[in-house]
Amino acid sequence: MEHTPRSFDAVELELLWRRLISLVDEAAAALVRTSFSTLVRESYDFSCVVTDAEGQSLVQATESIPSFIGTLPETVKHFLRFFPAEALRPGDVLITNDLWLGTGHLPDITVAKPIFRHGRLVAFSASTAHAPDIGGKIRSPEPREVFEEGLQIPPMKLLRAGEPDETLVAIIRKNVRTPEQTMGDLWAQVVALDLMEERLHVLMEQAGLHDLSDLAREVQARCENAMRAAIAALPDGTYHSALQTDGLLDKPVTLRMALTIAGDRIEVDYSGTDPQVDRAINCALCYTYAMTMYGVKVCTTPTLPNNEGAWRPISVKAPEGCIVNPVFPASGGSRMLIGHYLPMLVFGCLGQVVPERVMAACGSPMWGMNQSGVNAAGKPYANMFFFNGGMGGNVHGDGISCLSWPSNVSSTPVEISEHIAPLRIHHKRLRPDSGGPGRHRGGLGQEILIESRSDTPIAVSFLAERTIFPAFGIEGGQAGAPGMLRINGEKVDPKRQYVLQRGETVLLATPGGGGHGDPGLRGPGALAADLASGHVTDPAPYGR
Amino acid sequence: MSAPHLALAVDIGGTFTDVVVLDQRTGRFHAHKELTTPDNPARGVVTGIARLFAREALACADVGRIVHATTLFTNALIERRGARTGLITTAGFRDTLEIGHERKYELYDLHLPLPEPLVRRSLREEASERIGPDGGIEQPLDAGSLRAAAARLVDKGVESLAVVFLHAYANPAHEQAAGRILAEAHPGLPVSLSSEVAPQIREYDRTSTTVANAYIKPLADAYLGRLSTDLRELGLRAPLFMMLSNGGLTHLEEAQRVPVQLLESGPAAGALAAAVFGARSGLRDLLAFDMGGTTAKLCVVQGGEPLVAHRFEAGRERRFTRGSGLPLAISTVELIEIGAGGGSIARLDALGLLKVGPRSAGSEPGPACYARGGTAPTVTDGNLLLGLLDAEGFAGGTMRLDAGLAERAVGEVATEGGLATAEAASGIHAVVNETMAAAARVHVAEHGRDARDFALLVTGGGGPLHGCEVARRLGIRRVVCPPAAGVASALGLLLAPARVDRVATLARTLDQLPPEALEAAFQRLEEEAGAVVAATLGPDVPREVRRGADMRFAGQGYEIVAALPPGPYGAASLAPLRDAFLAAYDAIFTRRPPVQGIEFVNIRVSVSAKPPGSSLEPGLAAAPTPVGQRGLRIEGKLVPVPVHARAGLVAGARLQGPALVEDGMSTLVLPPGAVASVEANGNLVVTLPGPRQAADTPLMEHAP
Repeated sequence: MEHTPRSFDAVELELLWRRLISLVDEAAAALVRTSFSTLVRESYDFSCVVTDAEGQSLVQATESIPSFIGTLPETVKHFLRFFPAEALRPGDVLITNDLWLGTGHLPDITVAKPIFRHGRLVAFSASTAHAPDIGGKIRSPEPREVFEEGLQIPPMKLLRAGEPDETLVAIIRKNVRTPEQTMGDLWAQVVALDLMEERLHVLMEQAGLHDLSDLAREVQARCENAMRAAIAALPDGTYHSALQTDGLLDKPVTLRMALTIAGDRIEVDYSGTDPQVDRAINCALCYTYAMTMYGVKVCTTPTLPNNEGAWRPISVKAPEGCIVNPVFPASGGSRMLIGHYLPMLVFGCLGQVVPERVMAACGSPMWGMNQSGVNAAGKPYANMFFFNGGMGGNVHGDGISCLSWPSNVSSTPVEISEHIAPLRIHHKRLRPDSGGPGRHRGGLGQEILIESRSDTPIAVSFLAERTIFPAFGIEGGQAGAPGMLRINGEKVDPKRQYVLQRGETVLLATPGGGGHGDPGLRGPGALAADLASGHVTDPAPYGR
Repeated sequence: MSAPHLALAVDIGGTFTDVVVLDQRTGRFHAHKELTTPDNPARGVVTGIARLFAREALACADVGRIVHATTLFTNALIERRGARTGLITTAGFRDTLEIGHERKYELYDLHLPLPEPLVRRSLREEASERIGPDGGIEQPLDAGSLRAAAARLVDKGVESLAVVFLHAYANPAHEQAAGRILAEAHPGLPVSLSSEVAPQIREYDRTSTTVANAYIKPLADAYLGRLSTDLRELGLRAPLFMMLSNGGLTHLEEAQRVPVQLLESGPAAGALAAAVFGARSGLRDLLAFDMGGTTAKLCVVQGGEPLVAHRFEAGRERRFTRGSGLPLAISTVELIEIGAGGGSIARLDALGLLKVGPRSAGSEPGPACYARGGTAPTVTDGNLLLGLLDAEGFAGGTMRLDAGLAERAVGEVATEGGLATAEAASGIHAVVNETMAAAARVHVAEHGRDARDFALLVTGGGGPLHGCEVARRLGIRRVVCPPAAGVASALGLLLAPARVDRVATLARTLDQLPPEALEAAFQRLEEEAGAVVAATLGPDVPREVRRGADMRFAGQGYEIVAALPPGPYGAASLAPLRDAFLAAYDAIFTRRPPVQGIEFVNIRVSVSAKPPGSSLEPGLAAAPTPVGQRGLRIEGKLVPVPVHARAGLVAGARLQGPALVEDGMSTLVLPPGAVASVEANGNLVVTLPGPRQAADTPLMEHAP
């Protein structure tokens, strides 16, 4: 069929684009409502996307976390490599949680549905969500290989022409601690895919579109051009940054980035970064890519809608086998312990040309405590509680205390935690003086004291970083306080697993953010307010 | 002298105080608009009532009840004009209020402002005590630590106090003891207890709510006290009732005790009025759509009642961004606010797309065509160029619109976007309509419903102008345009039932709950709520009691609100309770999860009673007065269409679109193919052509 490309004016395109956004947002609302995982509902640890027939994204749900914004469209493209168009049928739903094709760790399950119109593949609806459990060792940095981390699902068909693959379902159920909830969430994701498909058909019917190619080309081109223009406005050059992470305590990890601005393109190169390790902090390239893109977008086009076009002018490379591009069979369950540093590296580079658009280091990666055991009724359980550190100061003002960044994961309420786990939380309070001094100080971290009230042992593991290397300040600002992890008052290695008996305690202190600018220049009013409130108790770093 | 037969309603908004009096014998009502007097709002109320009563020769002695709604307390919160408030928490948790949810409402903005907590850190103290999640006392309240904390706060000039202890929703004993100790130590100091204000699990939300209550309590006390005195002096002896955010009514003492429940009373009255007008046309599932100069508001009415949400956000840093405000665990009529109004400004964004709003020219300088110095192209300018508005008769003839200025403003954005001016005008109209439709679609989806199953009820200056196009975009076939839209909210006050909601957290699965315990928990709530209703409307008024619960499959983290069968519950009730949940679940979701356990998170009771004489005069009839025709731009062509005066339409009249129907404050646009009929109840009900036809025949807009 001969096809004359259709063009869209400023009004038509706005109307269609808004319709697309509203349909992915509708699907996201449905997923939130039906899911079992607190990670989906309260933390929005999921995403929904519509791509064209080639897997290039058109629109993504407004409520998405930065990692999935980058990984989900890529996973759809991987599906197409395994299942080309001719291998797909209406009603099929594809699934995978592959560490390299997905998001870098196994609990994130991605599903995608091919959408056909008049017998032709025109689009995919797709979704990633964090499952309540995926089996394996409980989430901690300890696993040495991906095999220890749970069930691996290669790209396959969860539904064939609408019929569930009962064999696959049985295997999933058998391999996870929470078969009902894990499967419940998967079906919730399928509901979201169906909804996007239905709404897309209505939209194409009403707009007289036979396929999405013209519309996709147009929305992607608009974003691509905007991104290129934003990059072109920056001075050409290669900028370097590096930082050290706690890594494996006895062995810190060094991350290096060279970011090259060449006309309207950005190339990011992680050469010189340390090799992968035999612990689950390896950060698969898909996640590296997503976190790098996030950092670039914050500095260049923060309000641009997310689609394939926005990413085209940016490329990311990392040597095979380094910790930001680990190879099989590396483990990666706690990949955010490396990945959450990557936007900071981008800031280190772009801060050299647009210092007003970056901030001092944050008290991230996010902190967490995972517990698992057997409850009074003899049933196995597993919970993960998240805690956040302070944001870095920036040119506009102080960093915000206790805020999730670069992810966007809220903290579980204390009352909910005590309901679902045999624990008592004795305090959860701000850490005075933990914000890095500066003209604009870093946000404060927090301190949480938790006691086991369980008659049976509880296995605990942690997400905890910046216990050695604190969040640094910039432009003359000072570092925030480093994080701290203690069990029964003793400092312990955060990357290992422990067992808590009744009455034993865990103390977590999340890091403060770094300061921005010379602390001596902090306004006397601001310092006085900090001293009055107790956010700061020691004025010495401010030279007063 | 006859028995008191008048009912009086007063609705204080930002600009006007609306006063409506309804004669309950005839169903006839009279209305008056008085300018709001922010320095002393009671003054405007009293003046307004006096003027209306003088005008209509009414006697204060004939008034049997007074109902009141106001946005004063919301504004006090937004403008931070509340009392100097202190907070006392369980030891270890005074920072809960500041730490918050730890989540950002915008992913890419490093500078995002968060709302300042209402109580700063130096005014937050701690007391030693501890209650466990099951309500068991693990550490008794140390009265000494509490007294010392309160003394420090009072020394710092605190005028109102909030007390929030962990798990107080499960066992309020410590908070109640604290209340007694504080009353003794500091008589006259207002104290808000979390177990009274918001007895629900989740400490941050409960703290935020209790603190907000404490913050506005002295203000509410003073204002309501003053108002009732002033009304009495005017000769009004009837009881004064307050509208609650959830659309219910309550008496003065309850309102003064928990004023945080009054925050959304104004919008709640508007939503109630919409529900009443819809029901008069037999339409019980509605989207109530109110479009003004700056924003549009949307409320879902289901089964004849506005949906009530149990979460609300006050004082957002970014008005249209969820998560940027203070979370409040109160029940409110659920409204969404959309940045789309007559003053919304059109511009081309960085991607070359035509965007409309949320930035607004407001009423000053206003749209370009107001000729008050505004130069930005707005929705109103676009509408004028499309022929939708009468340049001579705008706002009841009080204002002339300048088409030349509109043409110039819209022309600029047209040139920038490579469009003809007429195309840009219809583009502005289409984009603002899609903005509202998109927000409605997602909102309805959040309730698991489909917009196509509703009728659209339009109010406000912009509702009738844009309603039919918004409806078409949503796949809605029926649009209702009620009469007296200008004072609808105040009218809603008089039609509202007295309603009291109570909630308690259980957090137990169905199989862990002995039916007797469940029954006892419900009865406790019903007695409490029933007592307030009895105090409001008298002990003899027939009451309707409804039970509900926030339930979920065990392990899910999101509850749905299920309506439950009436009590009392016994061993045989387990199956019906389970069925009630499953029915509610199936109504929303297409697939049931493979989970057996069902959990009660919160139980809810709603007790309501209808005030006597709450009906309106049926029919408004007058002689038809056709007023002429106007050129309307349809699909790029100028088409002459008839213009009707709303007041001239008799019951039973039918109109065929395209046509315009004008009343003093707004214009109803009937697109081609639409049919409108005037009902005896005063509503104008529009039926739009079916979806297939609609797709093939774009109306005021060009495709898509």
